[in-house]
Amino acid sequence: MERKAQARAAHAAMSTALGAVMLLGGALGASAQDKTEITFSYLWGGAEGAALEQIISDFNASQDKIVVKGVSSPDMTKQLASMSSAKGAFDISDNFASNIASWSNQGILLPLDEFGLDTSDFPESIMKQLVVDGVLYSVPIATHNFQLVYNKKLLDEAGVTPPTSMAELAEAIKKLTKVDAEGNVTQLGLGLTDISAGLKTLGYAHGGDWNRDGKPTPTDPGFVEGVQFYYDNVVAPVTPAAYNKFVAGFGPYMSDQDSFKQGKIAMVFEGEWRAKFNTEAGMDWGVVQVPGKTPELNGSTWADVSTIFIPTNTQNKEAAGEFLKYLISPPAMEKFSHVLANLPGRLSLVDSATYDDLPNFKVWLDALKNPNTHGLPPALYMAEYNADLASAFDSVLQGAQTPEAALKAVADRTGSYSQ
Amino acid sequence: MQSARLRQSEPTGRALLKGLAFASPFIIGFLVLYLWPILASGYYSLTDFSLFKAPKWVGLANYERMISDAKFWKSLYNTLFFTFVGVPVDIAISIAGAHILNQKLKGQPLWRALVYLPSIVPAVAAGFLWRWLLNAQYGFVNEILRWFRIPQPNWLLDASWGGISVIVLMLWTVGGTMLIYLAALKNVPQELYEAAELDGAGPLRRFWHITWPMISPVTLFQVIVLIIAFLQVFTQPFVLSKDPGLGTQTATGPGDSMLSYSIYLFQNGFTFLKMGYASAMAWVLLFVTLAITLLILWSAKKWVFYDNR
Repeated sequence: MERKAQARAAHAAMSTALGAVMLLGGALGASAQDKTEITFSYLWGGAEGAALEQIISDFNASQDKIVVKGVSSPDMTKQLASMSSAKGAFDISDNFASNIASWSNQGILLPLDEFGLDTSDFPESIMKQLVVDGVLYSVPIATHNFQLVYNKKLLDEAGVTPPTSMAELAEAIKKLTKVDAEGNVTQLGLGLTDISAGLKTLGYAHGGDWNRDGKPTPTDPGFVEGVQFYYDNVVAPVTPAAYNKFVAGFGPYMSDQDSFKQGKIAMVFEGEWRAKFNTEAGMDWGVVQVPGKTPELNGSTWADVSTIFIPTNTQNKEAAGEFLKYLISPPAMEKFSHVLANLPGRLSLVDSATYDDLPNFKVWLDALKNPNTHGLPPALYMAEYNADLASAFDSVLQGAQTPEAALKAVADRTGSYSQ
Repeated sequence: MQSARLRQSEPTGRALLKGLAFASPFIIGFLVLYLWPILASGYYSLTDFSLFKAPKWVGLANYERMISDAKFWKSLYNTLFFTFVGVPVDIAISIAGAHILNQKLKGQPLWRALVYLPSIVPAVAAGFLWRWLLNAQYGFVNEILRWFRIPQPNWLLDASWGGISVIVLMLWTVGGTMLIYLAALKNVPQELYEAAELDGAGPLRRFWHITWPMISPVTLFQVIVLIIAFLQVFTQPFVLSKDPGLGTQTATGPGDSMLSYSIYLFQNGFTFLKMGYASAMAWVLLFVTLAITLLILWSAKKWVFYDNR
């Protein structure tokens, strides 16, 4: 009898406990359901993805109305496909400025003007790339520009000081290029890890532009001159065949076999992310602003932007807008850009002490305020134009066509571009 | 009599319905996933369409644009080059290899398995492997050529070798074709060879007058299948044409020598968002494939031997 009573009491206690747990779980579940869940699909992965997850986590902890779920999805075709349906797989995502015009024209980007964002802190060269027909479609989370990075050890060995003019650059290339007795290149004075970025930068440094007034200008004299400079000073002296044979041995970018890290190239036009990689790789390196053809053109470069946008098919516009505001707020942007060693998209952060631990970073930061930093106006044809320029550059480096002829061939194709 | 017929037809009607119900997964799948997209692409090819906006009728403008599009012609030329060089070489290697595998060698099943092994390696993984094998500085292929004092080309960064590199990678999976030929060789009656030998025919004459005609139906099938595969080649040049330093996807190779028709079609559809133009390109590829296939079928009367005739 006593045992029965004990068993009944035990059952009652267990039922009560279970009930309490269920009630608590229900309450918690209800609380989670009250929050609007949005999906942030980002192209980054690895360390960048981890940095974003930290920022997402900070945001989720900071308020009680929205919960953000981060998804790393580096496939841009998948990103586009998701935006073609009535209800997409994400509410907010990232891309590059070069796609803004085309995507906004397709009606897949939500205009951001309604969120009342203060854009006065964003550099002009950046804003120029994000506003299409007076409408803001995207905001910067990080920016990038290219400067002349050099291997200090190789320059010291050759007795070369970092070049400050185009004539000095040509002379430095000559002294730093090495060819063995069989005609094989063993070291390039100036290399290109990103062919398009390097040659476009050289075009700006010669006073040219590859896109003026919303029109592609591949035969712009300064631009042609920039490409010609590279061919005359780097490719022609060693012959195109020897140049390409040497380049074929370049290992994967920013790996242990990276051509700059391996000392295969002495100088290179590189983005700010190199600061972190070079330092972590234990390199003795330096950076100077890109030398110009004339002193006024010193520091010429072009700025690219990593942007954040909201797709038109989001089902949670307001929540996505709130998160977007948080992402581009000075603390979040500073944290993100610092972890990635990317440049911030805000002028107020240029002088922040946060970046002081990134060696030589100031050269890239200062370029954000430099009037010779160029941004491209948004244009529908950018994807096609970039593909054609890549083919033209390759043709020049192969020695198959002169820069003038190769870029003229691009000009002939521009008539069929989306305008 | 009539009522008996009715009784018979009722179950037949029900059987038809049942049959259709069982076949419906295929029928619906075919109509929705195959026929509808094919018909839709025909319509899109006559429009300005980007996936995101309603298609705008432009008539034959997309087809007219191809005439003056240098990259279209380059991609078509490259693809035909891959096909008309790659397919005969593939067939020749397959027949030669099948003859070797047909010999009474020790461990023959193992050799056959090894020959087929590359066919089960994913094309992307094989592409990355071959990027290193064909590396002009450190690749094994050039190392072997160096041993034999043969000039070593810059496979992946020389415009005159880019197309050949794609063909080399395509030929890596020749084992599949080889095994089909091996089965065909085993079906050739041995008494034909014995009779020919008695008549004094040497190995070449035996091949030309017995083997080749007897395996010609298999050759016809293989030629058509391989032509279709080569005309649609995408993965191999896409992987091989990655920039060696940065790792960005140029997808066109040196001097656009790896720009295949399918890659250019993909670029137009998903990078340049010109889905109308890409659809028109798809239809042109269909007609090119159809024309080549019909030409081969027509020529088959002269070189394919069926022993039941």
